Amino acid sequence: MDNTKLLNVYKTSVLARRFEARVIQMAMAGEMPPSLHAGAGQEVCQTAAIAALNPEDYILYGHRGIAYMIARGTSLSAILADMAGKVGGTNNGKGGVMHVVDVPHGILGESGTLGGGFVMSVGVGMALKRKMPGRVVVYFFGDGTSNRGTFHESLNWATVQRLPCIYFCENNGFAVSVRTSASTSVQNIADRAAGYGIPGVVVDGTDPVAVYEVMEKAVERARAGQGPTLIEAKVTRLLGHYLADQQTYRPDAATILTTKDPLPKFQESLLRVGILTNALVKQIEDDAQRQIDEAVATVNAAPLLAPEAALQDLYA
Amino acid sequence: MALITYSKAINQALEEELRRDQDVILYGQDVAEWGGIFKVTDGLFEKFGPDRVFNSPISENVMVGAGVGAAMMGLRPVVELQFADFIFTAGDEVFFKAGMWRFMHGGAFKIPLVVRCPSGGSGFGPEHSACPEAFVMHAPGLLCAVPSTPEDAKGLLKTAIRMDNPVMYFEHKLLYAMRGEVPDGDYTTPFGKAVVRRQGDAVTIVAWQEMLRRSLAAADRLSKDGIEVEIVDPRTLNPFDRETIIESVKKTGACLVVEEAYRTLGVGAEIGAMLAEHALPYLDKPFKRLAIPDVPLPTSPQLVDAVVPSVDAIYKAVKDLVG
Repeated sequence: MDNTKLLNVYKTSVLARRFEARVIQMAMAGEMPPSLHAGAGQEVCQTAAIAALNPEDYILYGHRGIAYMIARGTSLSAILADMAGKVGGTNNGKGGVMHVVDVPHGILGESGTLGGGFVMSVGVGMALKRKMPGRVVVYFFGDGTSNRGTFHESLNWATVQRLPCIYFCENNGFAVSVRTSASTSVQNIADRAAGYGIPGVVVDGTDPVAVYEVMEKAVERARAGQGPTLIEAKVTRLLGHYLADQQTYRPDAATILTTKDPLPKFQESLLRVGILTNALVKQIEDDAQRQIDEAVATVNAAPLLAPEAALQDLYA
Repeated sequence: MALITYSKAINQALEEELRRDQDVILYGQDVAEWGGIFKVTDGLFEKFGPDRVFNSPISENVMVGAGVGAAMMGLRPVVELQFADFIFTAGDEVFFKAGMWRFMHGGAFKIPLVVRCPSGGSGFGPEHSACPEAFVMHAPGLLCAVPSTPEDAKGLLKTAIRMDNPVMYFEHKLLYAMRGEVPDGDYTTPFGKAVVRRQGDAVTIVAWQEMLRRSLAAADRLSKDGIEVEIVDPRTLNPFDRETIIESVKKTGACLVVEEAYRTLGVGAEIGAMLAEHALPYLDKPFKRLAIPDVPLPTSPQLVDAVVPSVDAIYKAVKDLVG
């Protein structure tokens, strides 16, 4: 990954982290529904993976956070409007933050039921192969979601058809409150790739360069018509499953906030090699703050969706 | 006009639409070289090749779900489920992905998907014989076609394939061999327009597919007794042509729904409620339903006959109604 890309991954991760913190603050203050599944701790991984795509590629994403959309270029105010049920969002009040969609930026939406993205990705792959050869689709999902039956059906058929699909698992060790070790038959989700005869790769999800390189290979393979890759990034979920989650099942919930956060480590590594300077760090923080303030102001000023919106958008 | 089977009519619709539009693809279990379990897709693989007509694994979730994904990216997939009952095997993909993907993403996508569902055909047992269209009619976002003749089978399927909304297309297994006149050349049949299959003034019967065929047979016998029933075939259940039923009831003052599905909350329940809301002053007789008592379909023919409305049962129900 070149330095410009690396710096962009950092900037986007910072923006996603700060934006999410602001959203949590607003939700706790009762200014919007507390519907977010926080992605703190996984932004660097998500953003680095997306950096390996071209703008015309597509993604389907999982519940954890909003870094995916920010990395693809969706405006903060649109994401915030979706959360707040205001005019100016992407889904007209139908999907909240769970169904942010932005087709011009290659964001094809999310399945509310976990693992729905697997089956959708296969259809997207079938269409790309026939109508848009050379493009790929990535489905981001969690370790818990890998236990859905759709995982098996989809990886099998995507492989049989050699579709340009990439399956990117963010393994944070928990399905809501249940540890992966208690729910999952394999040590690594990527081990399951063997069942489909495709590459399964485990990568440290806190290392953006490693994530990018693994993704680059998977993208290359998919573009060449060789079919899917299953990538598993080991990550840490810094916060609860949802905003009100007290994480009583997780004794180290407080300490991981300081010991397991990849963002300060990423910052240190960039400072060390001179891609970042202290002045630049401050400028990036200030820029993020300014963008977030603007988005909040825009959405505060936007009207609530009219009740009639509930009856729209069902049929074409 | 040509005299062809219901099955051939579906096959022709598929062939004509595959030829007309390069974005149409057809897949399902065994549909390629083998021509499908009921041979409905016979010959299409040879004509259009493996890129357009292909087999899927036994994976109903991804079969339907991939159809939704491909549809939102501009293809027009026609998915064959081997049995209509399997809409529940693919429940998430049918009801949430096909029915709701557009809605929950604020109208960002069109979903031009057709899922073909071979239904009915008693004798295949509890999981292979149902007519589950009431479940689809209940679900927002899914259009629903129930063709009863070769002409409608072809015309409604061509309409469905050209639509930008997901369509659950129920093709009745007992009708596959039924012959009927089909117009020459390209034609489509509109959704949401019921048709009066027989005119009369005694009772309005609403029925479709095999129950329509039995209702028509019962009507012939009733006619010999001097009772003329009017028979309405809804053709699609979503959109649903309530007007034609109400207009008929205004004339007859009585309504009998005959359906090859569970009684409770079936299509008949919706029609009864609709009449109670909008046509009560026109009903001279209590609304009546013939349906399967709320048990799964058995396999043995004599047990099937005990629960699926028969010509005799329809004949008797009308006699009781007109008293």
